[in-house]
Amino acid sequence: MKHNYKSIGRCLRTLGVLIGMMFMPMTSAWAEDAPAPATEAAAPATEAAPAPEVAAAPAGPQPLEERLQLCAGCHNPDGNSIIPENPKLSGLDAKYLLRQLKDFKSGDRTNDIMSGIIGMVDESEFKDLAAYFNEQKRSEGVTEKPELAAQGKQIFDEGIIGSAVPACSGCHNEDGSGTNKYPRLNGQNPVYVANQLKNFKSGARKNDPKAVMQTVAKRMNDAEIEAVAEYIVTLKEAQ
Amino acid sequence: MMKTLLSICVALLLPLQAVAADAYVPKVYGKKGYVWDEMTPERVEVLRLGGDPVKGKEAFRGCRGCHKADAAGVREGVYPRLSGQHTSVLIKQITEIRAGIRLNPKMLPFVEDPAIALEEIGDIAVYLNQVESLRENGKGPEDMSAKGKKLYFANKCDTCHGKNGEGDAAKAFPVLAAQHYGYLMREMKLIETGARGNSHPDMVKAIAKFSQTDREAVADYLSRLPDYRTLAK
Repeated sequence: MKHNYKSIGRCLRTLGVLIGMMFMPMTSAWAEDAPAPATEAAAPATEAAPAPEVAAAPAGPQPLEERLQLCAGCHNPDGNSIIPENPKLSGLDAKYLLRQLKDFKSGDRTNDIMSGIIGMVDESEFKDLAAYFNEQKRSEGVTEKPELAAQGKQIFDEGIIGSAVPACSGCHNEDGSGTNKYPRLNGQNPVYVANQLKNFKSGARKNDPKAVMQTVAKRMNDAEIEAVAEYIVTLKEAQ
Repeated sequence: MMKTLLSICVALLLPLQAVAADAYVPKVYGKKGYVWDEMTPERVEVLRLGGDPVKGKEAFRGCRGCHKADAAGVREGVYPRLSGQHTSVLIKQITEIRAGIRLNPKMLPFVEDPAIALEEIGDIAVYLNQVESLRENGKGPEDMSAKGKKLYFANKCDTCHGKNGEGDAAKAFPVLAAQHYGYLMREMKLIETGARGNSHPDMVKAIAKFSQTDREAVADYLSRLPDYRTLAK
């Protein structure tokens, strides 16, 4: 099964790049008079859809402003992605962001879209990109499932004693603001959070140092994962 | 005071470190070559570095998920109370879990580098030795402390763990007073079977003589003792 998914992923990626090349003239025009099309263009629910536009960016190192247009397609100009599958990058620790970019580049972290996109971004740009998104203010989120979020709060604050799940608040702080070792979570898109936890659980994502997050996620079931993700979106950084 | 103590320990142990550095192979209890309280190279290094409670409070953040912000653990005893534990004991246990001498797969990923860096172990240990737990510890289901007290002294538990369950910092014998009943029961079982990995051989022998109800009584007695630090004041 896994192999099948992987090969489908590879095909999609190749396809995305090919389509992107076809659209290249159009999208570079889009990039010039840029302001907001990101949100409309990025609306589709599947992860694969936004690839064509962004795949069109020119190769080689780019100035930050140019490069940000590539990122903005999926993550919004201020890093507060409104696409449920895509993470908000705003306010994330710069070291964390840098590590993720490097891991996508090296293949230690994979994603059908990001793994293709990262090939276009030069490693020399990573530091500035990480610093830019670190400086953006994290937007607040809302839950559409308050009852589920309430269950998630219990797990986030207290953990699950029977299955040895530590409280999320221990490493990520009570308000989800993160620490110098663990990333910010507050306001993060719940679909993204749940997907990541499921990926950590299955081993599809394993770029967490010493598998700490994989260890925790393996102790959780899908219902618990979804509940905690639903609570995380409601978290607001303590003043 | 702590710093001086630590540096004396280290001064005594320096020759050992030089020998141990290349040929070090950890052994668990029950395996040939197991040496209780063997100084691992990492433990020697942690003792050499000493500890800073302010840094320790910060480094303890990641531990709060299980051991809670006041280091009280949980009443059921799934996670032990760490507040007031001797610095020497905490350093021994953390470094031995990291070295695979104390077998604790549940905790291991959370005490390995980078979750906890080597430099942070001493800081955390010094911090925990000083921190006050706000919440009460878990006691046994019924008060068996009179029976437990008799057993504790009749079996000379106090020789190592002290008249007030205060342990012995110099020998790295742990504080047991005010520990969770559930945790004490669980560890006695793990010590008996060797599954804890780093038990004192005498402790393994001693615990074998205890029936289930004797263990319950002693664990209950210890869980009802006050924090030994309150006695010194």
